[in-house]
Amino acid sequence: MRKISSVLFAIAALTAARYLITPVQAQQDAATPPPPPAYSPPLTGASPAEDTPAQREALAKWKEKAEQRTDADRKAHNATVIPSYNFHYGKGNPFTPGNVQVQGEGFLQPGAYPTAEYCGTCHQEAYSQWRQALHSNAFRTPFYRASVNILIRDKTRGIAFARHCDSCHNPIGVLGAALTEDSKVDRARFDSDGLTCMTCHSVVSLDSTNGNASIKMGVPSVIVDENGERIPGMVPFDMILRHPERHSKAVMHDFLHTPEFCAACHKANLPSPLNDYKFIRAFTAYDEWQQSKFSQRNPLTFYTADFTTCQGCHMKRNANALPDYGAKNGTFASHRWLAGNTAVPFYYGFDTQLNKTIEFLRTGNYLNVDIIALKKAGGDDLIAPLGKASYSLASNDTVEAYVVIQNKNIGHSLIPEVRDLYEAWVEFTVKDAGGNEIYHSGFLRPDGMLDPRAHSFTNRPVNDEGEFVDNHKVWTIHSVAYDNSVQAGRSVLVRYQFRLPADATGAFAVTAKVNYRHLRQSYLNNVFGKGHPAYPIVEIASRSRVLKIGDNAPEGEDPADNPDWMRWNNLGIALLDQFQYAEAVKAFTETVKLRPLYADAYINIGLTEIAWEKYESARLAIRRALILDPNSARALYYDGLLQRRAGNTEQEIADFSKVVKMFPQSRDARRELGITYYQQNDNPAALEQFEALQKIDPDDLTAHYNLSILYRRMGKSKEAAEQQAMFVDKKVDPGAPTYSLNFLRLHPEISTESIPWHMHSDLEENTGVGVAQNGK
Amino acid sequence: MANDRASLKSALRRMGPAVMGLCLLSLPAAAYGANTCPWINEATASGLLGRKAVGEVTEAAAGQPFICTFTQQDESGKRTLRVTVEIVGDSHARQGAIAQACGADVVPLRAIGNEARICAADEHKNRIGERVVGRVRDQVFTITIYTTVKDDPILTRDELKSRIYTAAEQISGNLF
Repeated sequence: MRKISSVLFAIAALTAARYLITPVQAQQDAATPPPPPAYSPPLTGASPAEDTPAQREALAKWKEKAEQRTDADRKAHNATVIPSYNFHYGKGNPFTPGNVQVQGEGFLQPGAYPTAEYCGTCHQEAYSQWRQALHSNAFRTPFYRASVNILIRDKTRGIAFARHCDSCHNPIGVLGAALTEDSKVDRARFDSDGLTCMTCHSVVSLDSTNGNASIKMGVPSVIVDENGERIPGMVPFDMILRHPERHSKAVMHDFLHTPEFCAACHKANLPSPLNDYKFIRAFTAYDEWQQSKFSQRNPLTFYTADFTTCQGCHMKRNANALPDYGAKNGTFASHRWLAGNTAVPFYYGFDTQLNKTIEFLRTGNYLNVDIIALKKAGGDDLIAPLGKASYSLASNDTVEAYVVIQNKNIGHSLIPEVRDLYEAWVEFTVKDAGGNEIYHSGFLRPDGMLDPRAHSFTNRPVNDEGEFVDNHKVWTIHSVAYDNSVQAGRSVLVRYQFRLPADATGAFAVTAKVNYRHLRQSYLNNVFGKGHPAYPIVEIASRSRVLKIGDNAPEGEDPADNPDWMRWNNLGIALLDQFQYAEAVKAFTETVKLRPLYADAYINIGLTEIAWEKYESARLAIRRALILDPNSARALYYDGLLQRRAGNTEQEIADFSKVVKMFPQSRDARRELGITYYQQNDNPAALEQFEALQKIDPDDLTAHYNLSILYRRMGKSKEAAEQQAMFVDKKVDPGAPTYSLNFLRLHPEISTESIPWHMHSDLEENTGVGVAQNGK
Repeated sequence: MANDRASLKSALRRMGPAVMGLCLLSLPAAAYGANTCPWINEATASGLLGRKAVGEVTEAAAGQPFICTFTQQDESGKRTLRVTVEIVGDSHARQGAIAQACGADVVPLRAIGNEARICAADEHKNRIGERVVGRVRDQVFTITIYTTVKDDPILTRDELKSRIYTAAEQISGNLF
């Protein structure tokens, strides 16, 4: 009788899970789901419930039947799908060009994954957030489909190649053999859920940090038995509620909390099996994070911060509004994964997700905008820092404004990932007291397209004809004409030039904003055709200053401004990245004046002088930094470089070794120490460093190159050949810049963006062309 | 020799049902036909109609749309999923014109294609159905799911609304 009631309960529970939760098509409605089954969480520190022999026996029987059913379903599914499956890359590589793998034999039937509605019965907060988030919509959105459909329809490619994209966007489809011309798979069962709960929570191991879905998917299981063995498929809720610890063991692997888990898909490359060309890095938010101050793995960052993972920013804990048995102390790790995507919630009408995304972008203190300096035509003096300096302006003055944009608290680049589709730019205006525009850069044209001469934090991938790859045909990308993204912690200097009117009087408002649009207009036009609604534009950060004709006295500080020493420091960083070494040293020297005990200011002078090849003065600066902070890993690293140049090998090794000891995951220190040992013919020590480096960054070219030589010397010809092949595949094609030059030659309106030091101006003497007033 | 041949024939006759059974067993559980409809496969259509359906297509001709029809028929009646797609200059106007046939009960359907509307498709007696009319760029599509099964336990009115949304998402997704 008990068995019958248990079965009936299971059926009732599973039926409820299927039907009682808000169906997909009504996601915009804020329907209130029914309450979850009754549950009293165990007291903190309480032992797990003890099963009776009868309960153990019942569980064992359930497990046996679940395994039999799952295996039988899998065999039947494989018998259905394999005969018509396109094994384009051979029988042994059914998921290539993606890196995803699956536990067990053959394809995994989509029905093996417990549904999101099933999980949502007890995890209502997670479900409601997930439903509006990017992960649940990873496949179905027009923005993705329009792109992947081009690949599928391409005569030289086809749906088999789309496994590269869908391994992350629709892994259930890839692993279930749906991605083939003559698919026998019912796609309505999973397409709408993209990355459902039981895709992430079924991953059993991370195979590497190579990206492109470098994970192994387990047979989905929501509970383990008393021996820790996974029980496949859905189980009655009372089974989970009796043993929440077993549920956690099945679905909550420790790696879910790590950046390496995110790296599986937030790192991507275009491999030769996809593009018939060679490895091209697509994006790697993971490496950018690893090189940022938030990872605490890189001693060379300009600033420091508390350790913060991807999850720390994108899965912040919030008080839960709906019942969720996964909540801790009334809070739940956000399953909205708030980031920059406003397009998807805008399209689906997910207003909560849209508003929270905008709030996330605006309130994170991610960027700092600083109109730091002015320069008048005909003079070399920099009026800086604005707000502190006194100066005078006259009508008809030609003025240069220096705007520093600091990527202050983003753990990756601005913009990250598919920066050929996303659009962030600086909108710079000069207006008189009446609101009349004197100058405007970064405006939107009536057709929604961005001013082509705007300073945008984007890139321009080009194909082998030198044409911009406008519609994300990534397999045609051969080069990048320019990449103006700002790496984490760095700053960029954007220069604007304008002329004050001949009859100018009074005050002028100068404003610099960083705007963000997801996605750029021409891509939206590709997706929808022209005439679609305007997609949201979010102002992430801005700063205004008032310039007066006549004398300008120092102003009060704005609390949002960086301290002056940091303003100079950021200017120095930006000048360094634009190869303006003399000016960079001057800016860093101003930092020293304001903060004479700040060792990093001296290091910044030193590293600039190393780049400038002024080694003697660099030594002085680094020595000064080491006096102030003898254990500064950053100073020791640059000292190591200087010791190498001076031939002091012992000190060079000592410096780099100390850095490696303090920062064992510093790729730069490992690389340099490896090179030092290699030059000393200490092959085992060099090998150790390069192998460690490759574990940190599997794509490091120096590691590939040196390991191929070292392995060959050791007689490991197979390993040597592998490293050599990877080096050749990953090394940038020396002919690729030609494609970029072709593009830039054809697009003079934006070609200046590829030059690190450039000026935005609408003055005819600078543009060389007659440009309509105000840049328009 | 003759005896040998006779015994072989006899043996084959005896084995016939078993061989046929083995052949049938080795066939996949749901042996779907080759996919000829570009926007939805037979397995997906079958899932939407509740049972295994058979598809056929009519390629676009002058002034006529491309049509995919999936049907599942048994003694209780017929369940049908019909998709039409045509490319026109003013797709917004064309979509509106087709939707006019829906009458007054037409409702906008969010997040399907560029724009879409849904209405009942109960044109015939003894048949209930739902229809979505929409467009993706310059492609105008109609999707109709209907059943002639009396008091259909699978395609109830609510299920029709739910399933046609899923069908519309599949088809519009493939049209993007």
